[in-house]
Amino acid sequence: MNGIHDIGGMHGVGPLEVEKDEPLFHAEWEKRVFGIFFGLAPHGYFNLDEFRHAIERMGAAEYLGSSYYEHWLHAYETLLMENGAITAEEYAARCTEVAEGMD
Amino acid sequence: MDMLTPDLVAGMVATGATTRVDVEAVQRFKVGDEILVRNINPRGHTRLPKYLRGKRGVVERDHGVFIFPDTNAHRQGEKPQHVYSVRFSSVELWGREGSPKDSCIVDVFDDYMDRA
Repeated sequence: MNGIHDIGGMHGVGPLEVEKDEPLFHAEWEKRVFGIFFGLAPHGYFNLDEFRHAIERMGAAEYLGSSYYEHWLHAYETLLMENGAITAEEYAARCTEVAEGMD
Repeated sequence: MDMLTPDLVAGMVATGATTRVDVEAVQRFKVGDEILVRNINPRGHTRLPKYLRGKRGVVERDHGVFIFPDTNAHRQGEKPQHVYSVRFSSVELWGREGSPKDSCIVDVFDDYMDRA
């Protein structure tokens, strides 16, 4: 699809800033999001290309306003709800539990 | 991908999960062939960047056979096919804003190209 992810040749997106001594992860939650991939894709919940396409399907403004691993999380949410592994209600309820510290 | 077991995780994290497959597929192009990239604009997934569409290039290398993302992303089959490194001149891609000294090498799936 001709989405916001395909920015090759686009003007006005600023310089490519290379981070010195860039760490593998910038926050603890990013490690969790990375690891979740291995609990899902190899077990048939989605394939690599479906995963990439789910990121591309993000709205353009949201895509540009969120980080790399936020894109990954967005793809898990989209695909797991679309394929029926979880419902939106279950997910919202679990998010509330975690936010309230019930883990 | 096969079922993932703990002993496989370290290797997968270190090298990435390849979509290379060990099957035969028609090799429509060979090194040195001049190709024309198809001007396709699918609403679904594609790994063909917009800036290559309708451009001419030269095949530099054949990487072997890989799963085709455009169909696999929609569970329409793996459609295994060759992937080639193709060289595009900067002037071909960017016209008068391109540099006559520069070129760009991109990995391109067989389905994205025709003979020029």
